[in-house]
Amino acid sequence: MGEDASAPVINEALLHATVKWNTLLFAGICGFSGAMTLLCMTYISLYRGLPHPGHYLNLLGVFLPGYKVSAGGAWIGFLWGGLIGAFSGAVMYRVYALSIRQQVADYLAGEKSTDDLEYVTMKLYGHSLGLAMGAMAALGLLITTNWLVVRGGADNSIHAELLSHYLPGYSVSASGSILGAMGIFMATYLFCVVLGAIYNGVVALRKTGTKS
Amino acid sequence: MNADKAVLMAGFARMDVKALAVAMGTVCAIGLFLMTVTLLVKGAPSGVPIGTHLGLLDVYLPGYSVSWGGSVIGAVYAWIIGALIGTVWAVLWNLTHYLYIILVVIRAHWWGLMGD
Repeated sequence: MGEDASAPVINEALLHATVKWNTLLFAGICGFSGAMTLLCMTYISLYRGLPHPGHYLNLLGVFLPGYKVSAGGAWIGFLWGGLIGAFSGAVMYRVYALSIRQQVADYLAGEKSTDDLEYVTMKLYGHSLGLAMGAMAALGLLITTNWLVVRGGADNSIHAELLSHYLPGYSVSASGSILGAMGIFMATYLFCVVLGAIYNGVVALRKTGTKS
Repeated sequence: MNADKAVLMAGFARMDVKALAVAMGTVCAIGLFLMTVTLLVKGAPSGVPIGTHLGLLDVYLPGYSVSWGGSVIGAVYAWIIGALIGTVWAVLWNLTHYLYIILVVIRAHWWGLMGD
């Protein structure tokens, strides 16, 4: 009911295969980034020559069993970073891909370039990106905070408590984690909208520059 | 344009490396600048240093501190790191897509030859 009979039919199998491939790809890239980030941070912390190397970075061991600031711990961190990055990447792309039908519709409506595939530049959908990354950030904060609550000693989690400087209402408690999750979701969403706007703006500027 | 081509365009469009570098750099710079400035504006009781924990970033960003000058230095660092991350992400995204498309084309040619 209400559907335009002349509207082109989207090949669902192709759409799902494309989303599946991009999910795998984004998971791989995020996994690689997460693994390399933790590895580099650990080694920099180790070899920067400070009196107490990794005094604070060691706290990650609370969430990542086996991790510590040492040569061996760096590689355990590499594995954890890869695993968490890949999982986050997969979830983020799946959420972002909720906008893929809109993207296809934009191409079909001619709102976007009709050049050949090799010349098409991706447009970032800030709203969808914000939902995806905001949801992951909120989920991450919920899990980590409640992990601190469940394992006990939440009152001593002075470092996590510092997040309240940026997330009003946040505390290391179940209710605080919900307020914090809402705050971090909104902040991440806003940053993603700005990211999308800047990216699309620069793409448009470069296109204009190329044409003129 | 047919719907299949539109799906492929939505899924396989090239990411603009420079645009993502600029966007990521800018967002990271704004982020660290705001984080530093928030602590400075909120302040601390007299005798208590401001932002001792955020200040630890100087382990990774030499010269950074939780101060007005430090916020600018931090923003510059964050811009460079964000731009680097954006570049790496975009290059990896494009590269893996190109490789996949090449594989698909080779496979299609192979099956075409086998069919002949």
